[in-house]
Amino acid sequence: MVSRSLVSHGLVLDLVEQLGTIARYDTVTLPLEEDERDEQRSVVAAWCTRTGNELVELGHDTVTVRRGRSPDPLAELGAALMPGARLWMYTNFDCNLACDYCCARSSPQSARKALGLDRVRRLASEAVDAGVTELILTGGEPFLLPNLDELVAACTSALPTILLTNGMLFRGNRLAALQGMDRSRLALQISLDSATPGLHDLHRGRGSWERAVAGIRTARDEGFRVRVAATLPHGQSHQQQPFHTFLDSLGVAPEDQVIRVLAHRGVADEGIELTLESLIPEVTVTAEGVYWHPVTAGHEDQFVTADIFPLQEAIAEVRRRFTEMRARATAAGQWFPCA
Amino acid sequence: MNQPLIVGAVAYTPNVVTIWEGMRDYFAGTPAEMDFVLFSNYARQVDALVDGRIDLAWNTNLAWVRTVAQTDGACRALAMRDTDAVFRTIFVTRAGSSFTGLDDLRGRRLVLGSKDSAQAAILPVHFLDHSGPGADSVDISRIDSDVGKHGDTGRSELDALRAVLDDRADAAAIGINTWEAIGREELMPGAFEAFWQSPTYSHCNFTVMPHVGDERTTPWVEQLFAMDWENPAHRSILEMEGLRAWVPPHLDGYASLFDAVREQAIPPRW
Ligand code: SF4
Repeated sequence: MVSRSLVSHGLVLDLVEQLGTIARYDTVTLPLEEDERDEQRSVVAAWCTRTGNELVELGHDTVTVRRGRSPDPLAELGAALMPGARLWMYTNFDCNLACDYCCARSSPQSARKALGLDRVRRLASEAVDAGVTELILTGGEPFLLPNLDELVAACTSALPTILLTNGMLFRGNRLAALQGMDRSRLALQISLDSATPGLHDLHRGRGSWERAVAGIRTARDEGFRVRVAATLPHGQSHQQQPFHTFLDSLGVAPEDQVIRVLAHRGVADEGIELTLESLIPEVTVTAEGVYWHPVTAGHEDQFVTADIFPLQEAIAEVRRRFTEMRARATAAGQWFPCA
Repeated sequence: MNQPLIVGAVAYTPNVVTIWEGMRDYFAGTPAEMDFVLFSNYARQVDALVDGRIDLAWNTNLAWVRTVAQTDGACRALAMRDTDAVFRTIFVTRAGSSFTGLDDLRGRRLVLGSKDSAQAAILPVHFLDHSGPGADSVDISRIDSDVGKHGDTGRSELDALRAVLDDRADAAAIGINTWEAIGREELMPGAFEAFWQSPTYSHCNFTVMPHVGDERTTPWVEQLFAMDWENPAHRSILEMEGLRAWVPPHLDGYASLFDAVREQAIPPRW
């Protein structure tokens, strides 16, 4: 007769054997014996504690154990990718353009949903203590805001800042606002998709390429560091080389030429799929609250919390969720640079 | 700069790849770089070592004994894990069996592990002969699984323990690593108890052939000994390999196995 306790002991032998055959960080799932479950659960838990393996899940009738302990996913990311290393702020959601792939679903008809000067000031002032090293202002089109100069000044007085713009509005008061910004602390990031008008205008509207190029020139002439970000549809990567050559001719430094792949979000009807699991978070604040990543701001499934303040806690919440999610997911994250 | 030392190891679990890639990375950029080659069993590894196709081998105690025999003692041991210097065989039985020593095995059923496992088969017979009633007076059965891997997988020892749990055997002889892995007596009160533990003996070592000179092995061993448990990057490799520190080889600790191999006429090519 096999006594009650011996079934539990057999389970430990099975665990030792099966974990011996798998790679580190892989898991095994073993069935629990009916009538023995409680005892088996406690034996397995004690065994894991003792042997340095990780109890992943104590289910109703199974138990899952990882060989070794899963590494700290945050530590693995390193400082540069650490959520909260950069803070993204959506200053507004309306835009003078209505690009067909806009991940923020922006257009002239979009509600402004402005973050507002008070919140931007408080975010900038809390950012340093929260460990943020760079602020990024995006939209919509920030230059539609009459007080953009004040928003930017609040940011640049705290940290190095990047301002994302389509570069088409550098005239009159807006040009004056630009001219008043701190060149030593601010870089502009202007969207341009191609070396010639065709592709850019196809997605962003006729004449938009010419004005964006003029905007890049203006910003450069005004003494700003300009990064250029291109959004290339899937399968168009062969366009990259002529594009780099063109940007070189505009005087944009090679390290400031950013090419990103079109995301299937917002009003885009194609593009690579982005999910929580596939995106390393980039803490992103909108008027509605905190989102997982700038490319998915405004998307319910990527909403983190309505509590923007204290910023430190909002960042901690994003990190906590990331750690939790990574503990479950085995797929490696894909860094999606929406910069 | 010396050529990298080529170290052989037997692939008994998928983690072997991770371990040796970690080791290779640890040595990269030092004056003693290394690379590794994996073998499916120790016989192949020892052949490759003796033929000079690898410079060094991470050998079990039985593979060391075989290499010494095949090289007439010209090979050298360079280093071992701290845990290799104090290896033991544990004789276990069901809790409450009231066994107190090897003599209690007279006429009883003892299950041994794979025939090429020093800890679970070869040395237990030696201990019965020299410290117990003699192997001939014990009803011995064997579980030969994963032969060629010298007991590294531990599978035969777990099967031996299952035989004890199922009352197909009265006792089993297992390595102290398996005994630790199941949590000794403490984790499963009422399951097993140890009734005899052997003196310590030596287990694995890095074995090098005479054609590889000191000028290549000395910097490598120095670098090996510099692995530090307190350094997280080193620790993850050390943990996987089951040690806290690398130590000089304890050659005296192989005497019992040399005797056992000779007395039991263990064949030269397992
Ligand atoms: S992609 Fe940029 S420029 Fe185009 S609509 Fe969206 S916010 Fe405006």
